[in-house]
Amino acid sequence: MNAVVRSVMGWSRSGIRPLFILGIILLALWPTLMTSAYQMRIFTIVGIYALLSLGYQFIFGHAGALSLTQGTFFGVGAYVTGILSVRYGLGGEFTVLLSIALPLALAALIAAPVLRLESHYFALATLGVGQVMLLVAISWQDLTGGANGLSGIPGLTLFGLEFGKGYGIMAVVWVCVAMGAFVSWRITRGLYGAALVISRENRIAALSIGIDTAQLRYAMFLLSAMFAGLAGALYAHTIRVVSPEALEFAIMVACLTITVVGGRTHIAGAILGAILIVNLPEWFRAMEKYYLIAYGIALLAMIVAAPYGLIGLLEQWRAKLLPEKPPAMPPAEPFIFVRAARSAAGPLLEIRDVHKHFGGLKALNGISLTVAPGQIFGLIGPNGSGKTTMLNVITGIYRADSGSVYLDGTDIHNNVAVVRYGFDNAGLVQTFAAGRIDPAWKRARSNAMYVLEGLGVATVAQSAAGSLAYGLKRKVEIARALALEPRLLLLDEPAAGLNEGEQLDLADRLRAFARGGLAILVIEHNMPFLMPLAERMACLDYGDLIAEGTPAEIRANPLVIEAYLGTPEEKRA
Amino acid sequence: MLLQILANALALGAAYALLALGFVLILNATGAVNFAHGDMVMAGGYVAIAMGSVLQLPGALLLPLVVAVMALLGFVFSWFAYFPLKNRPPVSVFISTIALGIIFQNSANAIYGAAPRKGPPLLSEGNFGMGGITIGAQALGIVVVAIVLIVAQHLLLNRSGIGRKLRATAQDREMAEAVGIRVNRMIALTFALGSALAGAAGLMLSNTFFITPTDGTNYVIKAYIAVTIGGWGSLSGAVCGALIIALFEVLFPSLPLLIPPLKIIAPWLFTQTASTILLYVGLLAIMFFRPQGLFGETVQRRV
Repeated sequence: MNAVVRSVMGWSRSGIRPLFILGIILLALWPTLMTSAYQMRIFTIVGIYALLSLGYQFIFGHAGALSLTQGTFFGVGAYVTGILSVRYGLGGEFTVLLSIALPLALAALIAAPVLRLESHYFALATLGVGQVMLLVAISWQDLTGGANGLSGIPGLTLFGLEFGKGYGIMAVVWVCVAMGAFVSWRITRGLYGAALVISRENRIAALSIGIDTAQLRYAMFLLSAMFAGLAGALYAHTIRVVSPEALEFAIMVACLTITVVGGRTHIAGAILGAILIVNLPEWFRAMEKYYLIAYGIALLAMIVAAPYGLIGLLEQWRAKLLPEKPPAMPPAEPFIFVRAARSAAGPLLEIRDVHKHFGGLKALNGISLTVAPGQIFGLIGPNGSGKTTMLNVITGIYRADSGSVYLDGTDIHNNVAVVRYGFDNAGLVQTFAAGRIDPAWKRARSNAMYVLEGLGVATVAQSAAGSLAYGLKRKVEIARALALEPRLLLLDEPAAGLNEGEQLDLADRLRAFARGGLAILVIEHNMPFLMPLAERMACLDYGDLIAEGTPAEIRANPLVIEAYLGTPEEKRA
Repeated sequence: MLLQILANALALGAAYALLALGFVLILNATGAVNFAHGDMVMAGGYVAIAMGSVLQLPGALLLPLVVAVMALLGFVFSWFAYFPLKNRPPVSVFISTIALGIIFQNSANAIYGAAPRKGPPLLSEGNFGMGGITIGAQALGIVVVAIVLIVAQHLLLNRSGIGRKLRATAQDREMAEAVGIRVNRMIALTFALGSALAGAAGLMLSNTFFITPTDGTNYVIKAYIAVTIGGWGSLSGAVCGALIIALFEVLFPSLPLLIPPLKIIAPWLFTQTASTILLYVGLLAIMFFRPQGLFGETVQRRV
């Protein structure tokens, strides 16, 4: 019991949590001081915008995609509630659910064309969707009431219970905020949260360790739409009318401003941002309706001065003023790379007659080679000989024109699912509800420590990856690949930029991993590094495999020498 | 009838082309979308209205003044929206331009109110007949002004020293810097140029279609659609895209006039609203099936 109390105390003291807890207490006390219905209504609207922004954080903050359709989902949610409750007299248990379901369906529908687009494309495409919905709302008068909208929306009733003006609807809204915050907290912690961070910061790296970044983005987009729909439904019940204003860009602007000002990935940021931005026009009444200019200035100032918002700023200050001990390093448990191979005696990687052309250029011209478990295989060749293309075909970044790639007897090249998840179990994406004490999360941390120790860089575990020196960074990248317990590691010029000492060290450590059962395919120009390391080698030239054998055989092969040095008769430019 | 429609479409398309050109110039120079580009059109319209009411001159004479004011505004704009963020991801610039767009919109609203205003005509508002069709002096003026500006822009970019520097900056900023081009100055100049073209479009559109403070969003989407159709980053593509949009916007609602049976079959379909919706749906379809634009070539991406 004492241990539990102590750990809770420790948790509540770290970071900016003392402020956070104080904030929650103040927030809970605030409504008891309210004297007018107007104040209650403002506080309710703060909650609605907090919910909207919590949802927006999924796509904008966590997935890192600038969506401009959050306001549209909000408006659609509001219209669904308005139409169903005014025209059909449905109760809250239906209207709220459908207000979530319709934006969700809309998001799923538009995700196909827009979600894979790059940032600015995505933003403008989502804006176009919003304009369409606004036009529909204005012109479909029979259903939506046209430009005047629908008035006379009743208060929220759930299963016969009425949550009317004042404390009733306010309580419902803030309970929704609390639940939304909990959902957000659960989703963005643990392995799933880590997957979100790496997909946002470095998509290629995320793909290379088997994270389906498109799937993550899709999930975040749908979540954001659901939150917006719920916020819209509550909004309709709070202000009791729904008009095209609910779909106008001003809502989106408010949501974006709240999220940028508060903090794009912090739950507290959504709430703090909503408090500030919703109250801004109240506090500065002199500005009358021109408070939107102040929104614009606040948005500009924050994006320039504090891109992670006020909460991010608080965290920075806290880290600077009261530096904390870094968290303890997790224990490292060894794992071995050989798992029950389906075909015990066969090769681990087998490439059969792979062709790849780019227009008229034959990048790969019928390449076949095999790598055995635990083998270090060196692939060499002059610039432009097709080495990296070969690697990209193996990993599935390119599709070969013909031929096949077998990993442990399975044709991975014609099996996109396997290729997409890389060479390992797709543990990351399955742990959607990963909590703090998730066994997969624990295993990931222990694996990471083990490979960092194995590469001799365990001390970097507490540093930010971006702050590391080049040689260390390279090793961390290799560790990232190894932490997934792969059977095959593909390295493209791992020695580049390393000094001789670092090269020797890296070679030693790779050899140690290979002894543990890991097969390694290395592309390298640096022969002093590769020759002692590789057990077998192959040489490519203009897309052809011109030699294969032991390093000594390759070194002596006249074709290889010719490819690298050229012959006097035939000088290649 | 058809000729009349084509003439109207050409006038609208000419104004859109100026808008889209400025959008692409800034896009190419900075790699970032200027979301406030539509608001620059709007600002150009209001600047023209303000100057027109003071100076009592026709639009054609106001045009150089409006262009100069808008170029200055573009300079200032880049100073706030782009330079503080030039080393951040492009999305940051996108957001900062949204912020400036909001400031523009609401400033216009504070000064002029939300009611639509009409800008000064280029010369007069009269019409004259030509080969059986009526052409407004304004429509003809728009086409002439747009052609002059597009040609001037083309010459500036392709036939002058400063144009070469501008293009070099857009193509490879680091390399341009390495050979001694003052890259920041070039980018600021690009913002000025883009803003000036948008302002010219604003002056001309504000007479035909009036102007309200919130029109910017609509215009930036038009620019964006034009650029998507023409191929992201292509100047000539943007002009073609603008003409295509304008043709569609003018032609589609008047289809029942050309083909009377349509009026009976689906009168609800051929409205301004439906045509706008169709335009957006078409945009989504293009992005899905031909993300490189209608005229772009498919190039296999190499990693």
